[in-house]
Amino acid sequence: MDKRKGYYLIIPAIIIMGIFTLYPLVDGIRVSFTDKSMLRTVYNYVGLDNYRQMARDPIFWLSLRNSIKLTTIVVVLQLLLGLVLAWTLKQEIPGMPFFKSIIMASWVIPVAATVTIFKFMAQPDVGFINVILRNIGLGNIVKYWFGDPKTAFSFIVLLHLWRNVPFYGIAFFAAMQTIPDSLYEAAEIDGANPWQNFWYITLPGIKNMIIVMVTIHVLWTFNNFDFIYLATGGGPINRTDVLPVYVYRQSWVNYAAGYAASIGTIMLIILSIYLIIYLIIQEKGEYIR
Amino acid sequence: MNLKLNKKQIKTRNTIIAYLVILLSLCFFILPMVWICYCSFRTQESIFTGKILAPLAGFTLNNYYRIFSVTDFPRYFLNSIKISSLVTIISLAVSIFGAYGLSRYTIKGKKPIIIGIFSAQMFPQVLLLIPLFLVIFSLNLMDKTIGIVLTQLILVLPFSMWMLKGYFDTIPIDLDNAAEIDGGNLLQRLIYVILPIAEPGVMVVAFYSFVVSWGDYLIVSVISQSQNTATLTLIISRLSASLLIRWGQVCAVATLTIIPTLILFALVQKRLIKGLTAGALKE
Repeated sequence: MDKRKGYYLIIPAIIIMGIFTLYPLVDGIRVSFTDKSMLRTVYNYVGLDNYRQMARDPIFWLSLRNSIKLTTIVVVLQLLLGLVLAWTLKQEIPGMPFFKSIIMASWVIPVAATVTIFKFMAQPDVGFINVILRNIGLGNIVKYWFGDPKTAFSFIVLLHLWRNVPFYGIAFFAAMQTIPDSLYEAAEIDGANPWQNFWYITLPGIKNMIIVMVTIHVLWTFNNFDFIYLATGGGPINRTDVLPVYVYRQSWVNYAAGYAASIGTIMLIILSIYLIIYLIIQEKGEYIR
Repeated sequence: MNLKLNKKQIKTRNTIIAYLVILLSLCFFILPMVWICYCSFRTQESIFTGKILAPLAGFTLNNYYRIFSVTDFPRYFLNSIKISSLVTIISLAVSIFGAYGLSRYTIKGKKPIIIGIFSAQMFPQVLLLIPLFLVIFSLNLMDKTIGIVLTQLILVLPFSMWMLKGYFDTIPIDLDNAAEIDGGNLLQRLIYVILPIAEPGVMVVAFYSFVVSWGDYLIVSVISQSQNTATLTLIISRLSASLLIRWGQVCAVATLTIIPTLILFALVQKRLIKGLTAGALKE
């Protein structure tokens, strides 16, 4: 085959990724060392000033804590609930094919629509959740669930679970399909209990899928902007502020591009550290094998 | 004997637990969608009675009538269709050629390119968007469909390339060589030999590109400046953030926003589950 053709084939992808991903990434890091505003074209290099400002900014630290808290809680819960769902999908009972075919619906609809659905359901007067609560005699706890500092964060977690748990379930189920039945049959002869089956056969069998799903979703949840921005905007009283929302507010509400870029750069560093640790663990795992 | 009875008991117990999980899952994952669809056919008064089951008089098609006749909904719907279709077509073209090139040819710096494409998925989009805004501005593409399309490509290209390269890698290169000996040029080889085999992967990439573009809020919120390019996600979030909310109409817009994605999902559902998991299982 003509060797040069290979380069022609990848040129469009390289150009698009170069202009719209690589350049913005490098330029974003560069802007983090300037006092650039979205409203002016003139700017100065200010060294590490933005990073110093960040170190003194309580909202930055709050957002960082919330981002890590949210990502950890969401991914752990998704993993556990995903395993329960996958176990259920494995049961061969009437109605299962239908259930399997509709359960991933929440994953494909736009996040903006999901937020609208849940905002509607959380309304104090007409919301489904509160209507149900009134009907079962819990009318005294009725409220706008995204507006209460005590419950807003939990409801953000709920949104993440609603979107992604079915994906986990289907993915783990697909991975379980590749485990040969003979392993379970052998275990049965040895008198293994269901818990031992799960721990020694199922879990190692879907280990790769678990690693892939957790990695994808740590990145996705940590970077996710629209769930929180559209549901609470970071409120009430910054209770649900996370880094992507804070970066967006700094750049498109305060127009402080330089400061926003420096927070974005910190996000990038955190994610890089996570990926490096992940790669090291994976490499080690290969040696052991 | 004892063992057999035990097994049956376990089976019964598992069935009961499974149905319980199914019931809870349906209530949690599916009911909210049914609920907004149901409320899109109710009058404002009926919704505000705070009752779950409305009397027949509480039902109306007025919400749909109004969003089509009074608001600019049809225009936003067409904008969304236009943008998502273009993203899908361009993403398919670029990633099919690109992935084929990476899969079949010796290219200098192939490894860094693949790693670069893969890690592009982790870059914070809120960070990229600050310089991207200036790029789009200097290319004079602000508030233009093509500006939004080009920017949204960064959301879908990494996954598309990775997915298709994985698929192409599983197809034996002998097939390409045989087709080449028969005198097929590159385009013919792709269309008649490679793409039919990689069809599930291509479908997944097309579906993924459309759905991600359809659901994007972040990029549209920055690049769209007028109703010429505003999409459904932008409008639906504005509607539910206003002071006096007509919930019936919001529900109608939400229903029509999610229906196209659900129809596409129904079409590719089986292949999607296979395709999405194939990559991870290959390891």
